[in-house]
Amino acid sequence: MKKTCVAMLLAGGQGSRLSVLTAQVAKPAVPFGGRYRLIDFPLSNCANSDIDTVGILTQYQPHALHSYVGSGLPWDLDRLDGGVHILPPHVKGREGQWYKGSANAIYQNINFIDSYEPEYVLVLAGDHIYKMDYRPMLAAHIEAKADATVAVKEVSQDEASRFGIMIARPDGTIYDFEEKPEKPKSTLASMGIYIFTWEKLRRFLIEDENTPDSKNDFGGNIIPNMLAAGEKMTVYRFSGYWKDVGTIESLWDANMDMLSGKTTFDLFDPGWRIYSRNATAPPYYCGDSAVVSHSLVTEGCEIYGQIYNSVLFNDVTVAADAQVRYSILMPGVIVEPGAIVQYAIVAEDAIIRAGARVGQEPLEVPNHDDWGITVIAGGVTVPEGDSVPANRIVGKDGPL
Amino acid sequence: MNNLHGILFAYSATRRLKELSEHRTASSVPFGGRYRVIDFMLSSMVNAGVRDIGVIMRENYQSLLDHLGSGRDWDLSRKRGGLRLLPPFCYTGTQRGENYFRGRMEALGGVSSYISRIRQGYVVLADGDIVVNLPFDHVFSEHLRSGADITCLCTKNFLESDYTEAFYTLNSKNRITDIVSGKAGDNSDAYESMNAYIMSKQMLENLVSHCAARNLHHFNQDVLQAMKDELLLYAYPFDGYCARLTSVGAYYKHSLDLLDPDIRAQLFPRGRPILTKVRDDASTYCGQDSVVRNSFVADGCFIEGHVENSVIFRGVKVHAGAVVQNSILMQDTVVRKGGKLSYSVADKNVTVSENHMLMGHSTYPIAISKGAVV
Repeated sequence: MKKTCVAMLLAGGQGSRLSVLTAQVAKPAVPFGGRYRLIDFPLSNCANSDIDTVGILTQYQPHALHSYVGSGLPWDLDRLDGGVHILPPHVKGREGQWYKGSANAIYQNINFIDSYEPEYVLVLAGDHIYKMDYRPMLAAHIEAKADATVAVKEVSQDEASRFGIMIARPDGTIYDFEEKPEKPKSTLASMGIYIFTWEKLRRFLIEDENTPDSKNDFGGNIIPNMLAAGEKMTVYRFSGYWKDVGTIESLWDANMDMLSGKTTFDLFDPGWRIYSRNATAPPYYCGDSAVVSHSLVTEGCEIYGQIYNSVLFNDVTVAADAQVRYSILMPGVIVEPGAIVQYAIVAEDAIIRAGARVGQEPLEVPNHDDWGITVIAGGVTVPEGDSVPANRIVGKDGPL
Repeated sequence: MNNLHGILFAYSATRRLKELSEHRTASSVPFGGRYRVIDFMLSSMVNAGVRDIGVIMRENYQSLLDHLGSGRDWDLSRKRGGLRLLPPFCYTGTQRGENYFRGRMEALGGVSSYISRIRQGYVVLADGDIVVNLPFDHVFSEHLRSGADITCLCTKNFLESDYTEAFYTLNSKNRITDIVSGKAGDNSDAYESMNAYIMSKQMLENLVSHCAARNLHHFNQDVLQAMKDELLLYAYPFDGYCARLTSVGAYYKHSLDLLDPDIRAQLFPRGRPILTKVRDDASTYCGQDSVVRNSFVADGCFIEGHVENSVIFRGVKVHAGAVVQNSILMQDTVVRKGGKLSYSVADKNVTVSENHMLMGHSTYPIAISKGAVV
């Protein structure tokens, strides 16, 4: 059936900067915020924005992601007409090919989009933490009679050189674009959220596919090409919380932001719930000696030790006399008696044996540049009494 | 395990639960931070591989219907079989205007056409208002091994003296030699009935038509006691944790049982999870100066105050400066600054206003009705 707007969620990226955390899973499947995975945020935004048709483009390590999304039921996206569609690369005619870039991924699914005859296509990333109603953005796109609308967020001059920067007139019309500029001409960062008029985008995707040396990328090719061709492009300003969690640092940071509740990102907002596939666990138990301060704790946890400023996913056990500070413990992690975990991300089912120390406080490290978040990969056991210093990544086969 | 069908009785309304069962049947009383009591029996069946389950209900079943829905959260929303809700429709042998079943056989008689269409060869029947995690797969294989006509689950672990169903005396092979209604009397070897049974579909159909034809309605008296010599009745003594919520006092006591790690391990073993209706809450946030000790806390809570020896359901808010001790707070209850609750059971959506105090006693906890503002 015909849809006004179809969303296409780019979820095929490896997220190599997340190192061991994405060794087994695609970046959108990385756990976040106590009971979510990154993909829950754009999917919940779609559900809450009444967008009922979402194509999810997967490629890298897709199994966990596929089974997590399933029928789309947790996000209310199991629909008779529309709903979620998982779109991995596939064989067409005699041969198939991998997705060569974000634009190529959409190009390869032109038939899928055409089947819904949409007027507009919303292109989303699978690794951003934000709450956004896409309806006003679509309304602005229609109102401006734009061919493309790019969601942008005002960033500081320093940050601007990490983003794709849109340079726009006061009425919001984009007239120039810079990818990660050294000297940014504007501070409007592209959030990687686009609405296109499908007819136009379709033409540019085909054109791009027929350009031999193109990287087939939205930011690098489609947006500049449309701009060069004089298509009407506008910015849509967004002022809420938005974070790209592409690095260990930013993933840790964004998790810490979830602790500050209403001041940054309110997970408890009843008007904009973030949905997820629920783990089945009983409530968490806090023992007599337990201290839990400024932290998120999830069902299935057994807490006897001390937790400060941390995010605990489901089924984490923290034994008596163990301390967890400024850390993220993913599902099933065990911290044994006397162990200290600080400024660390400990992935699923890792075990921190008695008396071990994982991570260090910034002040403990003489040269500040040597300090960083410590990461323990999923399933790894840190032996009794061992120390894993700051900024270290421990994979399945030992420190990287 | 697909040869076993489940029937749950969810119509008992325990008046003695007072405020807690004002709006619901005993089976849909909230329990254990995130569950309804029926989740325990229902999950026990599902975990044993039972794929078709009928739930017989009679009155005050709105909250039960809302909870069970299509059965999806128990993986029972199926094209073939799955969850079958059996609200009152037309009961053979029931007097017009009566709003209770005179007995279990009468309830079954009312759904005899449903029973005749059961696809499986065997049926497990159980009450929806017992807190227990039962290994029905093991009970079933014992039933087949022993060749019993009816296998009756029983226990010595019910501690409520004010409510008894029946007591069984067993021989060394667990065959039931005697059945006594009411008190166990002096027989300390007797096992109390859990009111849960496995029998063949054929046996169930025969018993239902036998009772319907003779205006018999009580399973224990008219079937088990009356036929104990004709039928091969075997017991399955269960020695794990089980509890009946027969009064506010029992509800309170058994809720706090969950603070015992041993009991939690028995009710929530890995691999046999208790499933319940999903609510999309965030994780629970514990504030800077919050104190949570010896407590069982569900998701979606916002705790900035002091919580001790308590069971906290989903979405509860305990503001800074509020104190909750030895209490059970059901979903979305709010205790404001300076509020103090001890030895209390607060139903859903209760608000304890600023600087207000409510204190019960460990032997006589206070129950606060759904939605009340203190």
